[in-house]
Amino acid sequence: MINDATLPLPSDGIAQKQAGETESEAVEARPPILFALPKGRLADVSLELLERCGLSVPTDMNSRKLVLPNRDGSIGFVMAKPWDVPTLVEYGAADVGICGLDVLRESGRQVHEPLRLPFGYCNLSVAGPKDRPDTPLRYASQPRIATKYPRLAAEFFRKRGVNAEVIGLSGSVELGPVLGLADLIVDIVETGSTLRANGLVEIRTVLEVQAVLIVNRAAYQLKSREIQGIIERVRAVI
Amino acid sequence: MQGQIPFGVADYFWEEALQRQELTANLLATFRRWGYGDVIPPAFEYADSLSAQASAGLQAEMYRFLDRDGKTLALRPEFTTPVARLVGTRLHDWPMPQRFGYAGSVFRYVDPQAGRQREFWQAGVEMFGAAAPDADAEVLALTVEAMTVAGLRDFRIVLGQIRYFSGLLAALQLTPDQSDALRWAIERKSEPALADFLRETPLSSEQRLAVEALPGLSGGDIPRVIAQAQRHSLNSEMSQALENLRAIVDAAASHDILGSIVLDLTEIRSLGYYTGISFEALAPESGFSIGSGGRYDDLVAHFGPAQPAVGVALGVDRLLLARQRQAGQSASIQPARLDALVLTGNSPAAMKEVQSWRAQGYRLQVEVNGRNLSEALAYAAQTDVGQVLAWEGTQFVAYRAAADGDFVPSRGEISFDD
Repeated sequence: MINDATLPLPSDGIAQKQAGETESEAVEARPPILFALPKGRLADVSLELLERCGLSVPTDMNSRKLVLPNRDGSIGFVMAKPWDVPTLVEYGAADVGICGLDVLRESGRQVHEPLRLPFGYCNLSVAGPKDRPDTPLRYASQPRIATKYPRLAAEFFRKRGVNAEVIGLSGSVELGPVLGLADLIVDIVETGSTLRANGLVEIRTVLEVQAVLIVNRAAYQLKSREIQGIIERVRAVI
Repeated sequence: MQGQIPFGVADYFWEEALQRQELTANLLATFRRWGYGDVIPPAFEYADSLSAQASAGLQAEMYRFLDRDGKTLALRPEFTTPVARLVGTRLHDWPMPQRFGYAGSVFRYVDPQAGRQREFWQAGVEMFGAAAPDADAEVLALTVEAMTVAGLRDFRIVLGQIRYFSGLLAALQLTPDQSDALRWAIERKSEPALADFLRETPLSSEQRLAVEALPGLSGGDIPRVIAQAQRHSLNSEMSQALENLRAIVDAAASHDILGSIVLDLTEIRSLGYYTGISFEALAPESGFSIGSGGRYDDLVAHFGPAQPAVGVALGVDRLLLARQRQAGQSASIQPARLDALVLTGNSPAAMKEVQSWRAQGYRLQVEVNGRNLSEALAYAAQTDVGQVLAWEGTQFVAYRAAADGDFVPSRGEISFDD
């Protein structure tokens, strides 16, 4: 049983190991806090934010090791596919994570989300061909929607009483209307240039997106001192 | 289809099944020692009974099907409602309080996740007819004991009192949309969502302060949290909730469990079901809660005279998973443990000795396939049995596996020690 407000920190382990370690070392002690960061679009801004709030981020980001400990070994960082971050955090494989609200809502994962972060702004929007933008939305009995966000798209149309046929794609969703696969798309719109290039315009906003800090529900209680420390540091710089 | 099993169920066998059976047996034995009687409700019953107070989410997860007479049945998705039905309909005139303990599988149409398939196991207790804080404290203490009996070293009970929040909602007089927004912000511990709520909702300064204070009302320093919550109490429901919580904490102190308890007045996930304390059991190795419970004074009235009630349900699968991780083990797939494989040569005297060892609790398998000694030794080696006993006229000779895996005969007294 634990009587302290936080769990004992395995202060040895990672820090000591660094000297003689090799990249093939597979099993290591788990750092007290595991922080999942998204690869891709949000990676650099996320790292920069953590740098600014004084959470030392490992410099050797190109290492092939999967878990990168910070200097004192108190936090381990893992770079994950953005879509995996909510899953890692819900299961407690990671305690804390950064991801986009689009990914979080689409995943439906049950996590705490204490802070929104000042980057990764964009819209998840419904877009359609610019000659007849919202005709399908208003009048088609069963509009076909191409999207990477089947859950959010289905919910958006269901709420409006529209029985949409949601066609899940994993990329280049704009091709849907171009190729006649779909009447509309639901996708992330940042500048709108991709839409314009494909003869599409934004019709409705499904979700205003920005990056969000998420925390595992159990870790929030069991590692409250460390987690609150991270939240405070991040809050101070946003 | 032949040979496949449906998504969400599993075959447990050998060591895994044994651990599961032993854990539930230990938990039931613990419940009995605390004076909780056994109860085995049916695996399916009328869907209406099981839905008596089920949330929309739980209702959507129930396996329903039609009886031959057209009535809708459902597999039990939890034990509390069936036990409450039993007490409400058949035991309402038996002296109170009544205590029940159970263990068994429940069924929910969910996406399988860590330690939870569509058929998963629960073990828990319910106490009826006791409204006093001592009853809540006993259930908390028994939860701590059960987690310890299950072999968990590190865990916490996160304790809330749902009436503090429901009292706050009543005091704020919100529209349904506004109260949904506040609930959502509190459930997800979202500071920006709470800020949005405060910006968009007209509140008096006193009300505003009470809402702003909510996120801070958690932690292991129980007197501080209660005192801070008291400062922002807006009505008698909120004050009574804190008074009740204070009394329960005092009673829990006598059980010496306060070190395992963290207070969180924003733990409101089961608003609408629980009517007093609600709590979750957490362990650092498991990202999901291992058990949950609380006071539900409104449930029994669906089936008979109203009775206050408090209980807890632990997830057996999650207990096993967390215990395994705390012990640093991976899932073990081993054949059933045996103390020896025995060749009796169909001698009555040999069989008699086997029976006396079995009576002492040793696990002995008698060879029935006509294997001779060398075949039996090979079979023992394959199935990881450390000892073979062969009857040689008047006595057994033991062949024990040596370090190199070969079996060597050892004359003299038979022993089953490793």
